[in-house]
Amino acid sequence: MARLETRTEPMVVNFGPHHPSMHGVLRLVVTLDGEDVIDCEPVIGYLHRGMEKIAENRTNVMFVPYVSRMDYAAGMFYEAIVVNAPEKLANISVPKRASYIRVIMLELNRIANHLLWLGPFLADVGAQTPFFYIFREREMIYDLWEAATGQRLINNNYFRIGGVACDLPWGWLEKCKDFCNWFGPKIDEYEKLITNNPIFRRRIEGLGAITRNEAINWSLSGPMLRASGVPWDLRKVDHYECYDDFEWKVAWEKEGDCYARYRVRIEEMRQSLNILRQACEMIPGGPTENLEADKISKGKESKFSGFDYQYVAKKVAPTFKIPEGELYTRLESGKGEIGVFLQGKNEVTPWRFKIRAADLNNLQILPHILKGAKVADIMAILGSIDVIMGSVDR
Amino acid sequence: MSDAPKESSPEAKSPEPNPGPVSLFLNENGFSHDLLGVDHLGIEVIGVKPEFFYSIASALKDFGFDYLQCHGGYDEGPGQNLVCFYNLIALGELAISSKAENVKPPLREVRLKVFLSREGEPTLPSLYKIFHGADWQERETFDMFGIHFEGHPHPKRLLMPEDWKGWPLRKDYVQPDFYEMQDAY
Repeated sequence: MARLETRTEPMVVNFGPHHPSMHGVLRLVVTLDGEDVIDCEPVIGYLHRGMEKIAENRTNVMFVPYVSRMDYAAGMFYEAIVVNAPEKLANISVPKRASYIRVIMLELNRIANHLLWLGPFLADVGAQTPFFYIFREREMIYDLWEAATGQRLINNNYFRIGGVACDLPWGWLEKCKDFCNWFGPKIDEYEKLITNNPIFRRRIEGLGAITRNEAINWSLSGPMLRASGVPWDLRKVDHYECYDDFEWKVAWEKEGDCYARYRVRIEEMRQSLNILRQACEMIPGGPTENLEADKISKGKESKFSGFDYQYVAKKVAPTFKIPEGELYTRLESGKGEIGVFLQGKNEVTPWRFKIRAADLNNLQILPHILKGAKVADIMAILGSIDVIMGSVDR
Repeated sequence: MSDAPKESSPEAKSPEPNPGPVSLFLNENGFSHDLLGVDHLGIEVIGVKPEFFYSIASALKDFGFDYLQCHGGYDEGPGQNLVCFYNLIALGELAISSKAENVKPPLREVRLKVFLSREGEPTLPSLYKIFHGADWQERETFDMFGIHFEGHPHPKRLLMPEDWKGWPLRKDYVQPDFYEMQDAY
């Protein structure tokens, strides 16, 4: 048998934790045979802050400001789940207006999340320009958040048990609609640039493919699961908040490769925009938001004094006790399913606050889809998973 | 597992709850288990002995529960049991393209709980072989509670430093070098 002169020994290469394309502080110990990946071991925990332990010593109002540090690209989702858990345990109902405000915030957050995925992912496969485009669009969302919550990227501290911290300022919904009208054509622009770009498609088609059964068995969720032929969206399954009021579709694909995951996320941005447009029109109190003036002039007789027009049900006291009992509650974030397993013991702090992060579970499969790939594909496959290390490590 | 875990879950004290569909299935097939009632959202909770745990989990997988949604542990309190919980849902049967838009049949969910004595080395068979998604979730539980998972491919810490001593989320954990901020200077 002829032996190749250029044969080399397997080489162990360490990527990260401070590697520019590791999306934060992920470390991969990769065994390479030439250019092929034989094995890969992810090492995580460099951003572990013990959020579950912190939660055990905090009341809910104290803990909400922490949680946007977990997924710092999509903090609102964690704020939502952290208030949803005690809210459900205490059977607190949310007024319709508050629920609409939450949906608007969550969908804006989904778009921001997918934008911040799109830019770095394209940068990972070698296209720098979209990075600057997405920052232009994301800026609009952050301006909207700044107007409503006072904070831009993280620490919005906006969600409260029973609703949100404050009502939308006057004219905000119009600005939100302006954003929708402005952002819609921008998705088309991305698609024109990227979707059928031959360089892009040859680079990622068939890369990191996951079958339907694998995706389910690995507990994947979100776009990772939906791109593998599983039309599963908790917004449809659990009917939480007011997502049933809107017309929208679950975005899903069958191929399970990086390209399918890209298309799922682009389609999700369109669907989110769809929901946003409807929510801005249908929100109780109306898009023109005359409710405050009406409430002042008519007092209690104003129809806007009713429960469904409140932005928060009843402000809970700082000494709010989490009732006895346990539950697991979940919601669909931009990255997948995030959940909280909450145990209350009729104390102000939870007994156990287990946080199920979407990207922790999505990242588990990485070594298995990397085997056999080329070293340059590591970044593309990792990029397509959409990880934020703050959320993986918590 | 030398000494048997104590029966001390709060649900066990309440009068015998009605068996749910999962419990009926387990009874039909002769798997012994404990009824722990339902949680706040009405999800069936089933207590399992560690020695039967692996076979019950595989039986439930055959019964349609193909998605390990959430696994974690908790501590019942100082001196009491450590508990592992497994949230399983039947995802595959609902996530079919024809039903994509309006999922009609209710989602089947169950939570398995295994009570382990905190004395010695609490050990549980790993579910990695049947649910690959258990990989890092079990490692995290090992990391935080010191519950060992037999048969896990990478039985080591996940989030804490590899040389860390102690199990941070146990209720009797003492943080090393802890001081109050006002005592710092």
